[in-house]
Amino acid sequence: MFIHRHSFTVRHSPVVPARAHGRRLAAFVLAPILALAAAGCSAGGSNSPAKADVGADDTTPVTITFWHGLSSAHEVAAVNAVLAKFHQKYPYITVQAVSGQTDDKVNQAIRGGTAPDVASSFNAANVGGWCASGAFQDLSADIAADHVDMSQIPQAVQSYTAFDGKRCTMPWLADTFGLYYNKKLFAAAGITAPPKTMTELAQDAKKLTVFNPDGSIKTAGFMPYLGTYQMVTEHLVTSWGGKWLKPDGTSNVASDPAFAAALTWQKNLVDWFGAGKLAKFKAGMGDEMSAQNAFETGNVAMMVDGEWRTAFIKNDKSDVDYGTAPMPVADDKPELYGSGYVGGNVIGIPKGSKHPAAAWKLVKFLTTDTDAVASFADAIGNVPTTIAALDSPALTLAQDPDFATFLEVFKNPATSTTPASPDGGAYLTDFGPFAEKWQNGQVPDLKAGLAGVDKQNDAALKLSQ
Amino acid sequence: MTALAPTARDRSARGVSAHNVARRRSGRRRTLIWIAEHALACGLAVAFVGPIVFILLTSVMTDQQSLTSNLWPAHWQWSNYTAVFSKAPTGTWIKNTVVYAGLVTMCTLVSSVPVAYALARFRFRARNGVFLAVIMMMMLPPQVLVIPMYIMWARLHLTGTIWPLVIPCAFGDAFSIFLLRQFLLTIPEDYLNAARIDGCSEVRVLLRVVLPMMRPAIVAVGLFAFFNAWNDYYGPLIYTGEKPDHWTLAVGLASFKSAHAVQWNLTMAATVIAMAPVIIVFFFAQKAFIEGVTLTGVKG
Amino acid sequence: MGTLSLVTRAARRPPGPDPQTSPAVRAKRRRTRIRILLFLSPWIVGFTVFLAYPLVMTVWLSFTNSDMISSPHFVGLRNYRYMFSDDPQIWQAVRNTGWLMAVMVPAQVLFALGVAMVTARLKAGAGLFRTLFYLPALAPPVAATVAFVCLFNPSSGPVNKILGLIGVHGPLWFDSPVWSKPALTLLTLWGSGTMMVIFLAALLDVPAELYEAAELDGTNPLQRFRYVTLPTISPVVLFATVTAVIAALQYFTQAMVASQTADGSIQAPPGYPGGSTLTFSQQLYTAGFTQFHMGYACALAVVLFAVAMVFTVALLRRASGFNTEEATQ
Repeated sequence: MFIHRHSFTVRHSPVVPARAHGRRLAAFVLAPILALAAAGCSAGGSNSPAKADVGADDTTPVTITFWHGLSSAHEVAAVNAVLAKFHQKYPYITVQAVSGQTDDKVNQAIRGGTAPDVASSFNAANVGGWCASGAFQDLSADIAADHVDMSQIPQAVQSYTAFDGKRCTMPWLADTFGLYYNKKLFAAAGITAPPKTMTELAQDAKKLTVFNPDGSIKTAGFMPYLGTYQMVTEHLVTSWGGKWLKPDGTSNVASDPAFAAALTWQKNLVDWFGAGKLAKFKAGMGDEMSAQNAFETGNVAMMVDGEWRTAFIKNDKSDVDYGTAPMPVADDKPELYGSGYVGGNVIGIPKGSKHPAAAWKLVKFLTTDTDAVASFADAIGNVPTTIAALDSPALTLAQDPDFATFLEVFKNPATSTTPASPDGGAYLTDFGPFAEKWQNGQVPDLKAGLAGVDKQNDAALKLSQ
Repeated sequence: MTALAPTARDRSARGVSAHNVARRRSGRRRTLIWIAEHALACGLAVAFVGPIVFILLTSVMTDQQSLTSNLWPAHWQWSNYTAVFSKAPTGTWIKNTVVYAGLVTMCTLVSSVPVAYALARFRFRARNGVFLAVIMMMMLPPQVLVIPMYIMWARLHLTGTIWPLVIPCAFGDAFSIFLLRQFLLTIPEDYLNAARIDGCSEVRVLLRVVLPMMRPAIVAVGLFAFFNAWNDYYGPLIYTGEKPDHWTLAVGLASFKSAHAVQWNLTMAATVIAMAPVIIVFFFAQKAFIEGVTLTGVKG
Repeated sequence: MGTLSLVTRAARRPPGPDPQTSPAVRAKRRRTRIRILLFLSPWIVGFTVFLAYPLVMTVWLSFTNSDMISSPHFVGLRNYRYMFSDDPQIWQAVRNTGWLMAVMVPAQVLFALGVAMVTARLKAGAGLFRTLFYLPALAPPVAATVAFVCLFNPSSGPVNKILGLIGVHGPLWFDSPVWSKPALTLLTLWGSGTMMVIFLAALLDVPAELYEAAELDGTNPLQRFRYVTLPTISPVVLFATVTAVIAALQYFTQAMVASQTADGSIQAPPGYPGGSTLTFSQQLYTAGFTQFHMGYACALAVVLFAVAMVFTVALLRRASGFNTEEATQ
């Protein structure tokens, strides 16, 4: 279950589908003939042309398309600002950005032969699939030719942007997750400090919860119901140090006790509220990415969320008095405190890119130019992914204590992410339905249930071979 | 003619009187049944229309109120209807949908009429087979063919546009052929023979004699084609999914709430915008609609 | 008479006048043949390119590992094995689709028939009521579904609010694995106006003399329905039922939109809540267009095709059955 941090919108530019009549008409006449000839091979033709001129620059004016998933007004403005800088540096390259695109759409466009020149994703878990299948082009040759210093990218970040020795993406900022808490509600409940262990989290959650006279939830101390905003298994199980895959790439959720422990903790808290009440409360929560976000309106006292929420709270002009802290950790794993889940945003050049040389220029600029990385991270409140940008004075956010929490989490050596798999992280998508059944009490035997998930994940992995 | 005020003469004749009592009783029963039936119909009408009323009410609520269970808008926020266009490219979606539905309607009619005419009016050995195949096509779930079709259109670089949904309509739409054929069978052969005797070619018979007579059926089939396209979600989702510029209203509306950080009020305003054209056209062309629907089920 | 009796009625029409073999006649017949082909040509192309070819390709691709990136190769029955023994969601999808066919469709047919019978008996305002009952059927499925999720929202929706006023504690509807399919069924009932109009026309076609005769025989209304109404309208009901079953088989839009809207996330797990609205078609869509296991999706399509054909053939066979009845009358 991927609850993307950015919901998506659509570029506000009217394009009439009928604008290419002539060409379409020719295609339409040829359709049956070609179709019969083309006996169901893969779409998109043969491999994309190699990125030529890595040495000498061809400065013929060129327009490239760039899909990204950011959609909030302040985020789109920040993208446009950094693209303007790029255009200044490379006046012959014009970038046409499309906001709010999801991974599914990128995948579909690559198959349909309508892929953009550059695409980004919030989910590093995609990298495995993209590198293994060749859906994204290998960037190693360009990196070598342009002498890009990869050591300026933290080791952990380098590893999640490549798969099986193939570097088909570059890191474009990262999201780290921690705990947001409402200071006013904390004070009212007599809680002085954010919880550090999951037991404390559960206790505080109960203290902070207020019920309506009819028994329904008025204020939830914490929403343990999976699938609510950023409350998803991958953000939760990190507190137990859970490892999704074995070293050989097979599924690990039954063998790693972290999963059973995390889900048991979660179910206990769900049952304290009552799953039905939580479902009802969830149905009444405002949209996550709007000013009606239940944390911003004070209806939820604590929540798991990414560092970008600090920027959202500012932009929504919410008056919530809040603080941030690393996610609490399992009682028996105190050494994990200070770490958390990191979700890497990645950027690369899909197969079928029409201007791969210009596309590489953009990828290189966005991911390695210190000023571009730092100023963009600052504008959208994300974590920069080069060491130089992390230390850059342009990163004014570092002075904000609420944001600094996330920078600390990012730098913590125990911070982890969900591993890449050749099927693009299908193990995560397939876990969503299981987690949902679990919290609704439809899984009688957790151990057996998790073993079943392992079996299914391994079988699904074979299907994509 | 129920005996509400029996006369003295009625009472004097015993046999008639007994008969009248029975009639009076059955009259009262009839009145009760009349009331019960109409009450039931009114109840059903409330159930059918109620949701539309609540959609309209929710669509003019404020953000905060649409998250509460209040039924009546405290403040009628009509600006929601403009916000629908500024928060999401709803205007583009509407334009795309109109273009898409218009092209589909045109292609469907032009290609389906001759086929239906041939099936209804010509005699040839394969006719029954062809008609059976048409029925099969009508019944075939689109999902069965979608993968090879998608691959085919991808090879032609037409994915990301509405053309994969329009072009097949230019080669006869099974449902429309079926409907038109049903109607054509109701036209007496004599009319056509008269025209043929006058020396009209078969094409001219179709154009000059049959088409004018077919007007109601063509309107019905055209409306169905238009609104099927207007309402279609599966097709545009698959073929325009990755190109938001080419989305239709159905695709945009499906993810409207989750994708644009909006609450129920704007979502319902967008819903009203999607429903309104269909309902408005229905009130203008109600007869054609009902006749068309009836044609699919019974008449021949 | 039932629509489909037409299929065969047309077939029983005697062939044209006896063939004569003068050259002029032969030339005329050739012209006729060309004319028929000309009229049928759009359909012939459509049938070949948009039905026959993709159908063959679906079957072929179901034996490959096509993913539209690398060139596909033959994998034998692997996709079918995965479907029957490994796919974690497929049986739930089959069960849900089965539920729709076994519960939702009969509910819809009975409801539409009931409403049509009430409407047929109305003496005042029948036309107005018919319009009101038909109106929701026009609502675009996506719009209707989004609206229903909003109206049935357990926290802010009017349905539970009204239920609460009469002292009923409303369920979670689209947020409950138990109530999501009943909620979708209510959505279907709301939009069953098309079926209602068809039934209404059939009911009004029942000759009034039959009722009068039956009434004189002293039958009660139930008997009249059983022995007069039902036999006359049954071809129409059967046709509508089979069409509805096939629609249930490909049920997609409402299920997908309802889970997305109720979960509030565009990446909602398919079939939210708890996989309870995951249908076979949705599973096919996920396999094909989000995971790009095109080969596997084709295997699912082959199964879907087989089931749909069983129902279609059953319908057509019944239709010719009616025809013989008609012939003996």
